[in-house]
Amino acid sequence: MKPPADDAPTGLPGMRTWSRVYVVVACTTVAWIGLLALLTRAFP
Amino acid sequence: MNALDYAVLILTMLGIASYGMWRTRGRRDLSGYLRGSGEAGWLAIGLSVMATQASAITFLSTPGQGYESGLGFVQNYFGAPLALIIVAAVFLPLYRRLKVYTAYEYLGHRFDGKTRLLGAGLFLVQRGLGAGITIYAPAIVLSTVMGWSLDATIVCSGLLVVVYTVAGGSDAVTLTQKYQIGVIFAGMLAAFCVLLSRLPAGLTFPDALSLAGGYHKLEAVDLSLSADRRYTLWSGLLGGMFLALSYFGTDQSQVQRYIGASSLRESRLGLMFNAVFKIPMQFFILLLGVLIFVFYRFELPPVYFNQAAWADQAEHGAGGRLRALDSEFAAAHAEERGQLLAWIGARRAGDRAAEGAAREAASAAHDREVAAREGTVAIMAASDRRTANDSDYVFITFILKYLPHGLIGLLVTAFFAAALSSKAAELNALGSTTTVDIYRHIVRRDAGDAHYVAASKLFTALWGLVAIGFALFAHLAENLIQAVNILGSIFYGVVLGLFLVAFFLRRIGGTAVFWAAIAAQALVFILYFSLGISYLWYNVIGCAACVALSALLEAAMGFQGRSGATPAAA
Repeated sequence: MKPPADDAPTGLPGMRTWSRVYVVVACTTVAWIGLLALLTRAFP
Repeated sequence: MNALDYAVLILTMLGIASYGMWRTRGRRDLSGYLRGSGEAGWLAIGLSVMATQASAITFLSTPGQGYESGLGFVQNYFGAPLALIIVAAVFLPLYRRLKVYTAYEYLGHRFDGKTRLLGAGLFLVQRGLGAGITIYAPAIVLSTVMGWSLDATIVCSGLLVVVYTVAGGSDAVTLTQKYQIGVIFAGMLAAFCVLLSRLPAGLTFPDALSLAGGYHKLEAVDLSLSADRRYTLWSGLLGGMFLALSYFGTDQSQVQRYIGASSLRESRLGLMFNAVFKIPMQFFILLLGVLIFVFYRFELPPVYFNQAAWADQAEHGAGGRLRALDSEFAAAHAEERGQLLAWIGARRAGDRAAEGAAREAASAAHDREVAAREGTVAIMAASDRRTANDSDYVFITFILKYLPHGLIGLLVTAFFAAALSSKAAELNALGSTTTVDIYRHIVRRDAGDAHYVAASKLFTALWGLVAIGFALFAHLAENLIQAVNILGSIFYGVVLGLFLVAFFLRRIGGTAVFWAAIAAQALVFILYFSLGISYLWYNVIGCAACVALSALLEAAMGFQGRSGATPAAA
């Protein structure tokens, strides 16, 4: 039972494939964690 | 609370519930009742997923965590976005293609009936117990501070959610959650604005952060590799990812929310909405608690936030000792406050030496304050009363004392809205799983839609009554939100293991995974009662044990089959 082909359009500007959407979301997560690490260091 | 607050509470709660029932009246077919009408867009799905996870415990208890321990708890959610990506990419397309009502139905397609029953059974046990906590948790806190009867609070809030969930099914849950989460956000934002406006004159927001940092409340990321520490970057990323993958991917209360969207795209975008906003939302709620901590450096907080319990003990138990600790606490707080005001003045004047001296003196006074509070907490913990952790009372105490009327009503409404929204999703899922995976699968296979809708309503109502009953007799010791996460972590790893084997290990069959899951669950129970590691790791251990044992058993059965077949062939 394989997942269906992942070619349905996302309808999002600048992110035409779902892989691109996932990469952007993952980068956002890394950015959040980075900002929180910065906060930890900025106010020791 | 005055008449205005009660009016806001009653009108909003009844209004949302009635609207949900009216909009979904007359749903007769099983698909519409269990999966929804298939019209929900990504925002409705995203908010519904968010509202299901964020229960009243999140909003009552998390600010208390921020107050006591700072921002560290946010690490618990670091793995959630990655898990949501996996769910959107792998789990969701399969659920939608097979048009399943429940996640466990998929296990039946992939393996066999007994594995489907095992998955459904683990969900029902875990979620059935958790359902009691989601009613009990807000009820004990709200009833204590409001002076309401605990049992009446549990029964009234429990029955309201049972009525509209039974009447409207999945669509009523999604629809009401949209408005409930709106009320919750409005309430939290209002509390944040009031809190900022009540910080002392001259204390800017960066000053407040600097002050909180000095008390180690802004340590949001801990790089420690120790397995004993409850929240670290690594336990959050790895353990948190497994917990979230299991919760969002295999817990029917979540699966039911996103499989009901109008298309795969809407479901995926709803999940990605949560992936982007989960960490900042939790951060914001914890920051609220940290700012309440800063606020209480300048306003005297109660030595024990559950003041009703404190007054009761002061009258009947160790009254003299409690009052002495209260006096010590107040004296230390007055000194700390004076030193912090001096610190603000020195900071304005740019006098570094005076700034450092004032900060040090404030810190010493704070240590005495903490010692008095810890002494009080120890006395209170020794008392045999039905109570929650004192940090769960921090936020509600602040709201009742410092927010204007009307806003108090809005915040209490927000807590009830959160309680009802997550409760509704749980009951909906418990009813669906019992109907589809137990009743339709074992008891009666060939009835019509109307029969199964009636059965689903009956099971939903029964689970509601079980949850209310459990809540009426519950006794909690840990911080409430942690209690829910610990309970989930004990079961979730194994359930996730079942699904990962189903998705990725094509050669493994039902018998191997079934016995592997039972052995893995037994292992998690043994380790939980014998080790002292962070509960998040049980998600990883349970999942890894289930996957590894499945592979081993399958290999052993294959070997046995081959060696057994040889003589016969010969």
